[in-house]
Amino acid sequence: MRLKLVLELLDVPGQLLDALNPIGRLGANIVAVIHQRDVKTERGTIPVQITIEGDEETLNKVLKKLESEGIQIIRVDGILRKEKITTILIGNIIDQDVKDTVNTLNQLEGVRVADLDLKMSDYPEHSASKIIIEADYGRKKMVTSKIKEIGSNKGFLVINEV
Amino acid sequence: MRICIIGFGSVGQGVVRVFNMKRNRIKQDYNLDLQLVAVADSKGAVISEEGINLALLLETKLNTGRVSDYPECGVSGLTGMDLLDKVEYDCLVEVTPTNIVDGEPARSHMLKAMNKGKNVVTSNKGPLALGFTELRDTALNNNVMFKYEASVGGAMPIINFAHETLSGCEIKSIYGILNGTTNYILSRMAKEGSSYNQTLNEAKEMGIAETDPTQDVEGEDAACKVVILANSIMNMNVTYNDVIVKGISQITPESIQLAKNEGYLIKLIGEVSPDSLEVSPRLVSEGSPFAVEGTLNVATLKTDLADDVTVVGKGAGSIETASAILSDLISISKAIKNIK
Repeated sequence: MRLKLVLELLDVPGQLLDALNPIGRLGANIVAVIHQRDVKTERGTIPVQITIEGDEETLNKVLKKLESEGIQIIRVDGILRKEKITTILIGNIIDQDVKDTVNTLNQLEGVRVADLDLKMSDYPEHSASKIIIEADYGRKKMVTSKIKEIGSNKGFLVINEV
Repeated sequence: MRICIIGFGSVGQGVVRVFNMKRNRIKQDYNLDLQLVAVADSKGAVISEEGINLALLLETKLNTGRVSDYPECGVSGLTGMDLLDKVEYDCLVEVTPTNIVDGEPARSHMLKAMNKGKNVVTSNKGPLALGFTELRDTALNNNVMFKYEASVGGAMPIINFAHETLSGCEIKSIYGILNGTTNYILSRMAKEGSSYNQTLNEAKEMGIAETDPTQDVEGEDAACKVVILANSIMNMNVTYNDVIVKGISQITPESIQLAKNEGYLIKLIGEVSPDSLEVSPRLVSEGSPFAVEGTLNVATLKTDLADDVTVVGKGAGSIETASAILSDLISISKAIKNIK
């Protein structure tokens, strides 16, 4: 069987090789690799499409191996594996322990804070922060309601996606 | 059709202007004669069973500020409630200012008309947001028609659109920008990088925001519309207090910049879904149907058969809102003819 994967790699030398190595080693064939270095995500990572071939057991081993090496698999055969959730919080972000906010989110199963951007205002109580979260597919609703809960506990205005 | 208008501000005058522009055309196309027999404003009324001269009425209001100064037929001090006892009419057009505390006096006007067997058309959000069920049931019990397209989104078609054009579909949820003033402010902030207060003042100077902009910027106006959509399109039985409401006054240029970096805009979105009735600032993708600028309104209806359907239009304005009222009047006339 064949699997089409979309991986997200960091734009540093050797990343593609690191992703491809375990595939061959585990006995799967690489059918195609589409790697366009000039197409980047907002976070500067590069999406790479890889088609691999092998029996089901081998392909499952490959997926597990890639994940265990910290390689982000965004799609498998067109099906989203991870979803990105963006949220903006306005309020006294620093005073309300930004680390605790991130930890609370990271403690949710299958959820990881991928990026955090903070913009201070002249008034600390109006500071804004953008949080990008990667979550296993299907967890978006749970994550957004957790963010709302954090917002109401810490007095933030929460701006979630529609 | 003999029409009685209560409320003669921007919308009421728009209705009369539109009658004046379209009367002959409507007679020709729909065999509907729109005859204005009574109008009340806050200071008095004018009654003429033979029909009020539309141009003269507009001129009188412009010159003296009161409809009761209309030659010979004016009655100073007559209230809307009293007017309804004095005049023979077929349809009430209720366009008094929105009151979101108790919905009065519009609520009483409409109930009185319905109980007397008259059809009612309104643009008034207050009574609809506070007591939708009461009004709908009173209309049903009296076998009269009750239409309120103009109450949500002004000229943007949504209520009749969902009931008629999408009538075979189940509407799963509705998301929309339901307030033009806040959309103008957020669009300008995104474009100019200006602060909230600065932009609000600009909007006030341009007449887009009212002197007291609370209802708009705190999301109350949009929340009324969320209630109307929930009750009328999604068959929920909810009222204003069921809506979680957050406005835009805390939005900073910094937060808009952070959103922009990720390809998002911040918009005040009303959500009507089985999980949530909410008005709050939300992130929308820059290329999405919600990325409309200026005072435009937009709504996406998520349906079972037609997938997503999006409507866009002018959410306010005298003539624009009157266009929705006119379309309600025409559909009432069509329905009456069908029954006959």
